[in-house]
Formats: sequence, structure tokens, C-alpha cells
Amino acid sequence: MEVGSLLDNLALGYSVAVTLQNLFWCLMGAIIGTAIGVLPGVGPVATMALLLPATYYLPAEGALIMLAGIYYGAQYGGSTTAILVNLPGEASSVVTTLDGYQMARQGRAGPALAIAAIGSFFAGCVATVAIAVAAPPLTRLAQEFAPADYFSLMSLGLVFAIVLARGSVLKAFGMVFLGMLLGLVGTDVNTGNTRFTFGIGDLFDGIGFVPLVMGVFGIAEIMANLTNAERRDLVSSKVSGLMPTREDLKRSIAPILRGTALGGLLGILPGGGAVLASFSAYTVEKRLSRTPEKFGTGLIEGVAAPESANNAAAQTSFIPMLTLGIPSNAVMAMMIGGMMIHGIIPGPQVMEQKPGLFWGMIVSMWFGNLMLVVLNLPMIGIWVRMLLVPYRLLAVAILFFCCIGVYSLNNSANEVLIIAVFGVVGYLLMKLDCEPAPLLMGFLLGPMMEVYMRRAMLLSHGDPMVFLQRPLSLAFLLIAVLLLLFIVVPNVRKAREVAFSE
Amino acid sequence: MRIRNGQDLATGLLFIAVGVAALWIGADYPRGTARNPGTGVLPFILSWCLIGTGVLLWLKSLLVEGPALTQWAWRPVVMITLATVAFALLIDRLGLVVAMLASMTLAALGTPETRWGEYALFTVLMIAVAIAMFVWGLGMPISILPRELAWR
Repeated sequence: MEVGSLLDNLALGYSVAVTLQNLFWCLMGAIIGTAIGVLPGVGPVATMALLLPATYYLPAEGALIMLAGIYYGAQYGGSTTAILVNLPGEASSVVTTLDGYQMARQGRAGPALAIAAIGSFFAGCVATVAIAVAAPPLTRLAQEFAPADYFSLMSLGLVFAIVLARGSVLKAFGMVFLGMLLGLVGTDVNTGNTRFTFGIGDLFDGIGFVPLVMGVFGIAEIMANLTNAERRDLVSSKVSGLMPTREDLKRSIAPILRGTALGGLLGILPGGGAVLASFSAYTVEKRLSRTPEKFGTGLIEGVAAPESANNAAAQTSFIPMLTLGIPSNAVMAMMIGGMMIHGIIPGPQVMEQKPGLFWGMIVSMWFGNLMLVVLNLPMIGIWVRMLLVPYRLLAVAILFFCCIGVYSLNNSANEVLIIAVFGVVGYLLMKLDCEPAPLLMGFLLGPMMEVYMRRAMLLSHGDPMVFLQRPLSLAFLLIAVLLLLFIVVPNVRKAREVAFSE
Repeated sequence: MRIRNGQDLATGLLFIAVGVAALWIGADYPRGTARNPGTGVLPFILSWCLIGTGVLLWLKSLLVEGPALTQWAWRPVVMITLATVAFALLIDRLGLVVAMLASMTLAALGTPETRWGEYALFTVLMIAVAIAMFVWGLGMPISILPRELAWR
């Protein structure tokens, strides 16, 4: 793709992103994201689900810019809690606690926070450019896709979701199937028959995505968090001396670069995203280091790499969503939900039909990252104080926001009952150590796959070989099979377990 | 045989139960033809996949050592569920304030850590914020108080 049109696109995006209104929504997203990132037990998925109904009242651009800001904002905020309190605010900051908290105990919380912010900002900038460069060619490729190709790509996506899920592979399989079955509830769009509705009128339109997510992620998490007694040891309420030394900076450059590259790549994978990226980046740094035994004692590399990686991944995970309309993780599924609320069908046509929205959102990410550096470094004291709000009060507030959020979708009290049901289901799955992410992927992709399967079969006059005859479709299926074979091989499985348990 | 992994066994049985139920309910959905697959095809395939996964997990629970089931925390689960249900039942009938009071109090009963003075203050604040944000700000069509008490 030529440089000229890239600049044109970015200029168009700039004109959309830099309106007073959209900058405001970007700032709101960044602030909310940082806040929930700082608070342990409140994740971006549940928050976006909460705010999804409210975005109905915003223009589409503002809504998506804000939702995006929440995701990458949460990656920033999560590191603050990890470093200062030794509690990961987000799952993607778990590894940051290892060296970040040790640095804080040695009185070097300032440099750790600063490096986390600098690394994140750098990664965010690079990832924004990566999206802008990669999106147009991928979109063109996507327009060549036949129904069979889409079906196979989605199968591959589900396989990725299984491979990358933590814990048991078998359970991840079951969760995908369960999710797909849940996705089938309601009226079959092709034939008009209803499935699994038990004659309940509210289920004829299917189980809503937002009630499902709020139940499984929001309500179930409150139940689990109220069980665990609270323990927060703030290392120091005041952070002095933010500036890292020249030595710190020098040692951080390479880890930031590697973390950005690795995170950017892992973010694109379906089922991947920020969590996997930060774990892998930390492992890579440990392998490459001349002093691997010092990791965990407060090495700045152990903060720089994972924090860059999770932010890069948070942003590149937008690529499959924007170009193919396929969510690569639960957060992207929320973004798709946000688009649907505004009547935008995600997919390759978005870039052509709504160029302002598409490029505006990408450019806003850069501004969002800039705002986050400003929000995080000088205002760190305010965020730390937020940790003083006890969870017993937060829980009550979150519960209320879940209820009113779902109610406001259709002014339907029955949908609030659905989150009660899925709250219990989510808690049960948590107890059984079944990760809900594959379930969500199945729920989203299942109905889409059925539509594409039917189209492909119709076009091929009932010949299932069509999935193997088209080269793209065959390639996707082969990769899926290879991946599945890989996780059955004991060696790879062991490596995967090590990577996730570290 | 000894069960070595209670968690896997329970998960397996859950998958089998859901799969069998889905298969049974979906038995009379039309399957259509290969050229035009009907309503029942995917439910049929997915039900069997789920049952198969469940059986494998069950077998695994007999062969591989693993974690046992852990205790349910009944108090938060029951109270939070009741709180959600209370909100759903009250919001249309008695308005926002009553629904919030009922559901938030039930939720607060879900943990022994609740301090009631602090909670009362927080609830008043939340109700004020909710009215300002959702009713006045976003203009959601909810009544604030029960209709009999409302001044408009």
C-alpha cells in the first residue's frame, strides 16, 4: 500500500478524532479504563458490558472511541496496582507484580511506574501504526473470502481460543461447544424455527450477548470476590522521584522493543491478547537475560517488557475485529457488540462504508495513549487513593450498575433475570475451573458459522468438499488441525503449562 | 475405580447432562438436506460433541490425579442472586429507589464485612447518583418512586 493513501487515511482519522466531542469521549474512556485497571476485581470486559447500553445514547464514533479507550486504559491502570500493591489490577499485569513490587519495596516505585508508562506509550504508538498499515491489505484480502473461507477461518479462531485458554484443553473444548449451543437459542434466521426457547417469549430473539457477559463476568466475579477475604498492603502511599535513571532507561530499551514486537504479534492471534502477551514477554526476557536468576528481585526489564507487550497486544487485537469482523477475544466481542448497537455490521465493508469511523478510531488510540501517560504519571496519587475504597462497597455498586445496564438495553426486567441465571452459571464454571473466554467465543462465532456453513453448502450444491477445495479454506483448516495435533503432543503441552503457570 | 479428580468428574457430568438434554429437546428439529441444512443439524452435532467431551473428562477423572471439588460459598452466591432477582422484579412495579434499596441491601448481606453505617451513607449517595445519571441525565423511562407516591 502506498504511503500517500496511508497519510490520507490518517488525516481523515485525525479530522474525526480531534473534535472536541471525540477527544472528550477518548478521555472518558482512558479515565474509566485506568480506574477499573487500578481496581482489582473489576475487569475491562464487565465494564464495557456495563457501558454498552449507555453508548446507545452517543454517536457511533464517540461510543467506539470510548470503548477502545477503556481496554487499553485498563492495561495502564493494571500496572499501577501491580507495582504498588502487589495485586494485579488486571490479569495482564500478573507478571508485573514479580519485579514491579520488588522495585517498589526497594523504594523505586517511581521508576517502575515511569518505565511501565513509557513502555506502554511506545508500544501503543507502534501498534497504532501497525493497525493503520495492516488494515487496508487485510481488508482487501477479506473481500475475496467466500462463505467456506469464513467458516474455516472461524473454526480456526475457535481452535485458537481452545489452545490459548488456560487450564485443561478438554474443558476448553467443552466450553466452546457449550457456548455455541447457547448461541443457537432463539429463532433460526434461515428457517424461522425456534430452538431451545422452552416457549419463553423473551428467548425468541436469542440470549443477549450483554446479559450473558454481565452474568458470567460481572455477577459471577462479585460472588467470587466476596468470598475471598481482602488483603491489600500498600507499599507506600506517596511515590517520590518518578524519573528513572539513565541506567534504567538504557536497560529498558531492548525489552520494550522486544515486548512491543512480541505483544503486537500475539495480539493479532484469535484467542490471544494482552494476558498471553505479557506472560510470553516476561518469559522471553528471562531466557535472553544474562542474569535470569535476578528476575523477581526487582529488575527493571521485568517491568518494561510485559507492560509494553500487554499494551501492544491490547491494540493489535483490534486488527481481526476491524478487518474481518471476527472477535479475537472477549473484549473485541464487546467492541462488536458496540458496533451492532449502532447498526454497524463488523467486517471488511466497515472501512469502505464508514472510513471516518474506522480511521477516527485508530487515530484516537494514539491520542488515548498520550492522555494515559499524562493521566498516569502526575496523577498517580489519585489512583492510589482509589484503592482505599473497600470491595464490600464496590461490589454493591457493580451489582447495581450491572442490573441497570442490562435493564436499560430494552427496558426489559426479564433480561435482568437472565444475568441472575448466568451469574450462577458463571460461578459454577469458575468453581469447575472452566475459563469462560472460550464459551464466549463459541457463543459469538457459533451462529455466524452456521450462517456461513449454510451459504457454502447451498453454493456447492450440498457438496461438503467445498471446504477443502478452496485454497484459503483448506489452509485455515490445515492450520487448525496442526494446532490441535500440537497440543496433543506432550512436549508442547508441557511448555504451555509452564508458560501459563509462571 | 477411584475418582482421582473430582473437578473433572463434575465438569464431565455437567457437559454430558447438558449435551443429553440438548439432544433430547432438539430431537424433533428438522435436519434438512445436505444442500439445505435444517434447523436441527448444528444442535445435533454440538450435542454429541459436548457429550463426547464430557465422557473424555469423566475417563480422565478416573486416570489422572487432579484437584477435588472445593466448597461453594453459598452466602454470596445466594444473596447476590437474590439481589439481582429483586431488582428485576421491583424496578417496573415500584420504581428505582425501592428496587435499589432492596437489591443493594440484599447484596450487602452477602458478605460479613458490611458495616451498616458506612453502607447507609453509600446507598444514599448511589441512589442520588443513579437518579441524576440515568433518569435525568440519560432520560431513561423509569419511575423514581412507586407510582402511588410519585408527585407527577
